[in-house]
Amino acid sequence: MMDLTWYILGVLTGGALYGTYVFSNRFKLNWLLLSGMGAGAGLLLFSIAWGVGAVLEGVPRAGSMGILLFGLPGLILLTVTIRHIISKKEVAR
Amino acid sequence: MKKESESSTTNNTQNETKDAHNSSRRNFLKFGALGAGAVAAAAAGVTIVKRMEGIPHEEFPTPVNDDFTPFDQRNQINVFGNSKALNEKHPERNKAFNAQLKKEGQLGDKEFHFFESSANFMQGPYRDTPGFSQLEQALAHAGFYSARQQLGGGSMEGPKHPDSVSHWRQDMVAEQKYQFSNPKEASLAIKSAARMFGAARCGITRRDKRWDYDPMYDARTEKILTWEEDFPFEPKTVIVILVEMDYPAMAAAPSWLGDATVGDAYANAIKIAGQLNVFLQRLGYHGVASMNDVGLNAPYAIAAGLGEGARNGQIITPTYGPRVRISKIYTDFEFVEYDPPRTFGVTSFCKNCKRCADSCPSEAITFGDPSWEPEFSTDPESLWHTSKGIWKFHNDSRKCFKFWIDNDGSCANCICSCPYNKPDFWHHRLVDAQNVISPGPVHSFMREMDILFGYGAVSDPDTVKNFWKLGEKI
Repeated sequence: MMDLTWYILGVLTGGALYGTYVFSNRFKLNWLLLSGMGAGAGLLLFSIAWGVGAVLEGVPRAGSMGILLFGLPGLILLTVTIRHIISKKEVAR
Repeated sequence: MKKESESSTTNNTQNETKDAHNSSRRNFLKFGALGAGAVAAAAAGVTIVKRMEGIPHEEFPTPVNDDFTPFDQRNQINVFGNSKALNEKHPERNKAFNAQLKKEGQLGDKEFHFFESSANFMQGPYRDTPGFSQLEQALAHAGFYSARQQLGGGSMEGPKHPDSVSHWRQDMVAEQKYQFSNPKEASLAIKSAARMFGAARCGITRRDKRWDYDPMYDARTEKILTWEEDFPFEPKTVIVILVEMDYPAMAAAPSWLGDATVGDAYANAIKIAGQLNVFLQRLGYHGVASMNDVGLNAPYAIAAGLGEGARNGQIITPTYGPRVRISKIYTDFEFVEYDPPRTFGVTSFCKNCKRCADSCPSEAITFGDPSWEPEFSTDPESLWHTSKGIWKFHNDSRKCFKFWIDNDGSCANCICSCPYNKPDFWHHRLVDAQNVISPGPVHSFMREMDILFGYGAVSDPDTVKNFWKLGEKI
């Protein structure tokens, strides 16, 4: 099961990297916004890996805590960064 | 006009060339910074991996005084508890312990006696408490069955039972000695054999008289045994074996499920030691397989680079933490590559964590820092069971032993609650890596996180229920 999780996470990581590349070309992102997107996506993926690992080892509480402590900040960071990029683009228009 | 236009074109071209130069310089700097970052991250990764493998030491990593003397096996808590003769010889030990318990309000209804109170250990009655039903007791008896058979019909501490795997006979030594081409090849052969027989880890160290019981004592026959007259050869090398105990069973501590995996690991550990002993004898060298007798397991495992001494009195090993049983083989074969002792940052973590001390039901584990002498008592009649002259965490093993008897089963809370006791999942290895490089205050934080994330809870009835569902997975 963990092997399947690693495979899916690999696909998601590849997708996230490609998405960041496309986003970066379209909106001309600076290093700060790129870091924000990278950190947000990284934390989200990390929380998924942590959560699945913890559930598989039989400690679901560790899984939910991991998703809360790593996934939530990741989601917030990613949302704030993307919203900032889009609003900047709208102002530029 | 034409000239002006030409001049403007030239300026533009120059500016473009300048911009291109600046851009390529920026890119060079950007990629340079990225490259430097990648190199720094790789170097940090390699350093962390090296630290996780442990820092090798030339000498035994724990300070030992020059006046340190080998431990008399008659003072080992299980040997004393199993020996009627020793209890009769030392009534003052029972008396002093009862006086201390009374003073601390832990005595209970009747006085404690090391030999008499332990006579019917783990025989029941069954209880309503989860983990103490007939089901769990049957599993515990089954877990210990093979170990008792291999170790000579009951006693875990007798070194000279003719029918046991840990016998001292040398009747299988081959006439022709096998010659390895170099010490590394010999060590690799021994470790490869240990792996096949089922060892989780194997380390090889020199025999060190400081860690041997002297004199040795067989509680079943009530006989003193000496190295000079009784042991069949002069050992040069000690091969140390680690066997993993079951995580879900240990998570149910303190219960008979813990006993089941302890007994099972004893059986596996002595089986492997016995097989390696035969392997060495058939290669033409002398050998004796040993479980808890002959010498102290923890310092030999530390000397063999397998782990580091912890607050709970056990060793903590990479990957398994304290959830291991140790066996060893004494041999006169010395053409081997010895493993250096290694430290993994465990002592530093233990100083800050104290989770085992918090979860110890008998308050046997110290909350103090490592010291030369025990701090739990200054009464000489209360210190017979401890090592002196070694810088370590000193615990009161009498209280631990009493809880086992009162509980009618062993405890293992100190193993279950230890933050190093985790199944082999990637995120725990990540936390281990973080722990070896971080300073003390971070260790305290990690202890709190371990609790928050739901690890290491003791007396948790769900763990017993979960254990009995694991059959679905095989």
